[in-house]
Amino acid sequence: MTETLPRTRRQTNPPAARKLVGQSMPRKEDLALLTGTARFIDDIRLPGMLYAKILRSSTAHARLNRVDTSKALQQPGVHAALCGQDLLGKVKPWGDMMQDLLVGDHFPFATDKIMYEGQEIAAVVADTKYQALDALEVIEVDYDQLPVLVDPEKAISPDAPVIQEGISYEFGDGNIFDRYRVRVGDIEETERGADLVVRQRFTSNRQAGAALDPHGCVASYDSFTGNLTIYSSTQSIFMVRDILADTLQIPRNRVRVIVPDVGAGFGSKAQMFAHEVIASVLSMQLGRPVHLVLGRGEIFRAGTCRTGQVRYAELFLKRDGRITGYRDYVVHNCGAMSLWGNQVIHIGTNVGMLPYPIPNVHVDADIVHTNTAPAGPLRGFGIPQMIFAKEQLVDVAAEQLGIDPLELRARNVVRPETFPYRTPMGQVIDSTSIYDCLHKCGEAIDWERKRAERVPYEGVGLGVSMKYTSCRHPSFDTDLSAVRLRLETDGTVTIFSSDVSHGQSHATFLAQVVGDVLGVGFEKVNLAQPDSATSPFGLGTFASRAAAVLGTACRQAAERLREKVVTIAAHVLEASPEDLETGNDRVYVRGLPDSGLYLENLASYAAYRTHQLPPGFEPTLESVATYDTPTEREAPDGSGNLSVTYSSAAHAAHVRVDPDTGRVTVVDYAMAHDTGVVINPLVVEGQHQGGFLMGIGMALGEDYVYDEDGHLLSASFKDYQAPYATELPELTKIYEIPAPSLTIPGGQKGAGESGAGPVPAAIANAVYDATGVRFTALPITPERMLLALKEKERQGVDTLRFPDDMPDFTGPRTHQEWPEPTASDEGDILL
Amino acid sequence: MQQITLTINGKSVTAEVDERTLLLEFIRDVAGYTGTHNGCMEARCGCCAVEVDGEIVKSCNVLALQVAGRSVTTVEGLSPQRLRPLEHITTQSLAGVYKPLDALGADAKDLHPLQSAFHRKHALQCGFCTPGMLMVLKDYLEDNPEPTREDVRRAISGNLCRCTGYQHIVDAAMDAAQQMRVAAAGADSTADAADA
Repeated sequence: MTETLPRTRRQTNPPAARKLVGQSMPRKEDLALLTGTARFIDDIRLPGMLYAKILRSSTAHARLNRVDTSKALQQPGVHAALCGQDLLGKVKPWGDMMQDLLVGDHFPFATDKIMYEGQEIAAVVADTKYQALDALEVIEVDYDQLPVLVDPEKAISPDAPVIQEGISYEFGDGNIFDRYRVRVGDIEETERGADLVVRQRFTSNRQAGAALDPHGCVASYDSFTGNLTIYSSTQSIFMVRDILADTLQIPRNRVRVIVPDVGAGFGSKAQMFAHEVIASVLSMQLGRPVHLVLGRGEIFRAGTCRTGQVRYAELFLKRDGRITGYRDYVVHNCGAMSLWGNQVIHIGTNVGMLPYPIPNVHVDADIVHTNTAPAGPLRGFGIPQMIFAKEQLVDVAAEQLGIDPLELRARNVVRPETFPYRTPMGQVIDSTSIYDCLHKCGEAIDWERKRAERVPYEGVGLGVSMKYTSCRHPSFDTDLSAVRLRLETDGTVTIFSSDVSHGQSHATFLAQVVGDVLGVGFEKVNLAQPDSATSPFGLGTFASRAAAVLGTACRQAAERLREKVVTIAAHVLEASPEDLETGNDRVYVRGLPDSGLYLENLASYAAYRTHQLPPGFEPTLESVATYDTPTEREAPDGSGNLSVTYSSAAHAAHVRVDPDTGRVTVVDYAMAHDTGVVINPLVVEGQHQGGFLMGIGMALGEDYVYDEDGHLLSASFKDYQAPYATELPELTKIYEIPAPSLTIPGGQKGAGESGAGPVPAAIANAVYDATGVRFTALPITPERMLLALKEKERQGVDTLRFPDDMPDFTGPRTHQEWPEPTASDEGDILL
Repeated sequence: MQQITLTINGKSVTAEVDERTLLLEFIRDVAGYTGTHNGCMEARCGCCAVEVDGEIVKSCNVLALQVAGRSVTTVEGLSPQRLRPLEHITTQSLAGVYKPLDALGADAKDLHPLQSAFHRKHALQCGFCTPGMLMVLKDYLEDNPEPTREDVRRAISGNLCRCTGYQHIVDAAMDAAQQMRVAAAGADSTADAADA
């Protein structure tokens, strides 16, 4: 159980103690999920429903000459078949909702070119799943193989095969579809003045969300009314609705997106996918509901995964350990097509500079296509990649300066005299306890003793990060969520929200917020199913935004509803509204909590006895509130306060390496977090535990492994190293040191992703401490560990950077040798 | 096509099915118990775990035909009142929707001790892996009433969860094991009393 500690330095305005907020209420969601009555996407059954299946490419790059579905149509039970040529000119490509991506590059099927293994080629709809699968086997596909590009660094070469043809990106044709740069301070001056420069090339892996509930949808088109209803396992109903309506060119009020229970997403369900268009088109053709749920291999190959990065990172320091600058050139691998991928580098880099207020930052990034799976958001949104590189450089520097790694971090973490404080990168830190978190996690892991008393093949390591709480996406310019509340005529409350809860416990923590503001019992508040026909417009659930952004909208809606019921009660009781309180399911005169009027009575006045209402009072007790965070747009130099507040995480790992098997075992782990005001400690601890699992997966096993022909070798749970329970340590050293947000009215900060951010870095630093091997690539698999230990022994050295310090490594070692960033200072128009 | 009969959660289900029909599909599509989930179809994630005659199987890797005539328990069978809701619709039980959630599980006929422990310990987030976890742990704890945390981790090492990091699942299993021991001791003493 999480231990909550006070900070050493108090901040202003701790929020008043409340009844439900702050309590570990067991969740409202649980009952249906525990008893099997919850309905996930594969459980939806509609009358007359047909089953569709998709034929996917088995090659990664090819000229597609012809797709012939005629034989499939002759198969038993088959109702229709579709391929790319059928839809050309009929549905609109998508991908252009983002400002940086000027031309839609997504289409339901490959039309003239296959760009990655698993891309949609054709689809069949039949009476049963097996009939559909059988029919896929007789579809004829004629194609000519093209050279395959897997290595992102080769994508920028002028003679690389071009993946997206015929799309004119802002920076011209080719595989670089976007660029990113940061110019904060003066990096040349910093370099001249630095006492120490540490530099290293790092590569980070691609990780799948691998949410166990598959991606899928059931589309149902009414050919008489023209209404398309789609049940979809998604994180964002309006993103699906708007892009689907646009793609199909039908009015947005004719598309209704309903979300069943969603078995997690982690970012992998935060966009519209081809299968949603395919099921919709088939349903429109046939006038019958079409079920299309993807298989695990399809999700690995064509769902989105974490962006891969190659970084040439440099950290500049003074002799006293002060970090004065950071320079980096990044090749950012987004796969063959990507909706969100370019945003990952913007936000991951901007926020990833924290928790250090680094005064000089110089970053260039080439954002490229390869013949690999589409990349996109995944828990941490670029932060774990960035922290993996930067926090290892901090350790490299600490060793060279002879300063303890914890001490070096303590000297650098943001710790201003007053809040809010604006960093050179533009982040406005409205509160943080990162300094205390750092010391707490060090103490919990017994840092000083373990550093002093060496045990062979055991070591400790640190990682610190700060994490956005929701985000103004540079290409979106919005950061809002909305809640509508209705006080029902029996005094219960219904919450309507379009932000899909898929593990985040919205029904529970929103009820805690409403309960406190309105004085209604926790058990009387219910969350309605997300439905675009009834829910207010909101962006969806991602970016650790639910508690802070959705929670604030909910608080404001509850305050508006409270004002209404108090107005009615004041009229009926002939009291002044200022003298009234809410609580115990009623409105009462202050000091007399057992008297007053029940919400049930007040609600019934507003519905059935309107003569009881104050003159001119508009009946119906509903309220709606939308909260758009006071964040900034990204400035042309890459700076800006993109997030409304920042949660903090300091992690310490103790690992043991088995020199015979290469296996890394996490012996002990400690995490100290600042999540601001925690609405439900049990839920927040669950988020941290889950973030830790994803971080361990990224550090030690999970990866998209491609062969040189672009075949994904890890497209099944057999090969994809998702951690099982036996691979994780007991994680009980979890601490919260709350520094309530000053910007968010309730003081909350995002919890969902801060548990993942520092994990790969902390593990890698501990592995170095244990073995002397500085891993520059993720994941740290047993095979790589054995190779590294052998190589270290062969060279007879105490420390080794691996794999980028191998004798045959020919890549650049200093920034003078780095590839010329194509994101030059000249002639670029950034935003 | 072949006609087979399975007993699912105590109820006999007969249907004519394609020989290729998996037990998972029979449970979900024929018998209509959709609490058993399809997460990977390759016996790796464990979301489809059910009991067949008291033994755990991953129902995605078994043909319905292979277990014809046998008795299957799914997650719906853990809390029997869910299977007979009509008996329970009374004014009293409708008022029961206002019953605070933490009171649930206080009564053994409401929830299995594992279900209530999962609820108390927040051992589920999205809940998709939960039915499989519950079935595996039920089977395990019935045979091993006094496990260590390490034992519990090994018991669920055929089940994936992507949300919880497993820590709270282990907490819940230890808690439920305790409850089940108390209940078993109670049942024994009742039996002893009856014998006497």
